[in-house]
Amino acid sequence: MEQRLRREAKALLEQGKVDYIVGFEPGSLKFTTTPLITKDKSDVDRLVINPFIVNNLANFLTELKGQVGVVAKGCDSRSIVSLIQDNKVAREDMVILGIPCPGIIDLSKVEKLTGKDRDELDDIIWGGDKVVITADGKRSEFSITEVLFDNCLGCELPTPQEYDILLGEPTLPVAGRSASQAKIDRLKEMTPQQRWEFWENELSRCIRCYACRNVCPACFCQRCFVEESEPQWLMPVPRWQDNLTFQVIRNIHVAGRCTDCGECERACPVNIPLRSLTREMYDIVSEIFHFKAGMDKEAAPLMTHYEQEEAEDFIR
Amino acid sequence: MTQGSEWEPRLLGFLCKWCSYAGADLAGTSRKEYPANIRIIKVPCSGRIDPLFILKALRLGFDGVLVSGCHPGECHYQTGNYRARRRMAITKKFLEYMGVEPTRIQASWVSASEGRKFAEVVTEVTRELKETGPNRLFD
Repeated sequence: MEQRLRREAKALLEQGKVDYIVGFEPGSLKFTTTPLITKDKSDVDRLVINPFIVNNLANFLTELKGQVGVVAKGCDSRSIVSLIQDNKVAREDMVILGIPCPGIIDLSKVEKLTGKDRDELDDIIWGGDKVVITADGKRSEFSITEVLFDNCLGCELPTPQEYDILLGEPTLPVAGRSASQAKIDRLKEMTPQQRWEFWENELSRCIRCYACRNVCPACFCQRCFVEESEPQWLMPVPRWQDNLTFQVIRNIHVAGRCTDCGECERACPVNIPLRSLTREMYDIVSEIFHFKAGMDKEAAPLMTHYEQEEAEDFIR
Repeated sequence: MTQGSEWEPRLLGFLCKWCSYAGADLAGTSRKEYPANIRIIKVPCSGRIDPLFILKALRLGFDGVLVSGCHPGECHYQTGNYRARRRMAITKKFLEYMGVEPTRIQASWVSASEGRKFAEVVTEVTRELKETGPNRLFD
């Protein structure tokens, strides 16, 4: 798949079909990758596809001018479709190199399972539904449901629906829906008071670095409400109630756009379980409006649309 | 707002100028009684209500927010109340998930002729907010 990607990317640049290639290259740390944005065809040999390509590259599309060839996993391709729905990008301005994605490995889960730092691991090899990890000459095997990101376990569309070139055979979703919902289910069993205390505890850590917003392809406002000063919606001092306001409004803004790619949670430097928010909004939207983000590029964005009869139960 | 020693909830009402605000007017001119706990802001349409306004009101110390507009199909701008309905639906559900009591987020359809309904809604919402207690988003 990787070789094919490099071939296709090179051909696209040579034929002048794209100005940029946006993909992944090996990161500076072990088992990491970093986005690669290039105009140079000699760079394409650095492109990689492996179980560590975490980033959602749709985020770069709104900033790149010209024709862009973009590498997209299932969730990323839905983010791209969502941007097309919002007229933020045009379908004809890009070549989507689709990757059927069986899931991305969560290194912090691996660290927890093996009790070792990622630097101490020699190799992580994925085969079938097992992942073999070697460290200090010792091999240990884990089921992929133990090491994949929560959002990958709940993935509905691992194979991109919208693509120009599909770089592999379509793949099926991982059967891990219940594991992916575990945190959210636990929250839903709590009383409102307990949930409130849970979020107070979590959101008190927020330093408002806005990494969750910056990394999110669905958060594309030119000027975010948090930076407005007249009126000032949020006080600059990170009180936790303002942090809550920020997260609530951010989630309302990305409702119907969020594809549960999990980037916000990965970007969070203080480990707030942000996906427990975004996934819940994803499910609310799906339950009330039967809407899933990024499925159909012709569909109207969720909040610009309505049905005559819907969601009346809470209105007096 | 305290009257004597008893705690009184503060309710903010965003009323659409075409229906609910006129409904509130009618409640007044027809001498309907309803709690004085509500403070009213007139808006051009319930579709004007950004969920941010609701959060801001709760942050500033209101114990509940009522958004009231025209009945479905009667919006002066055709579709404003339908859009408001979608926004209110997800806002209410999501805030409930965060641990904010659902009684704090209220919505109603009140037409210009429904002065009595307006009085009833405000009475009912105030009663519910009294049971819910002070808002914790305000500190």
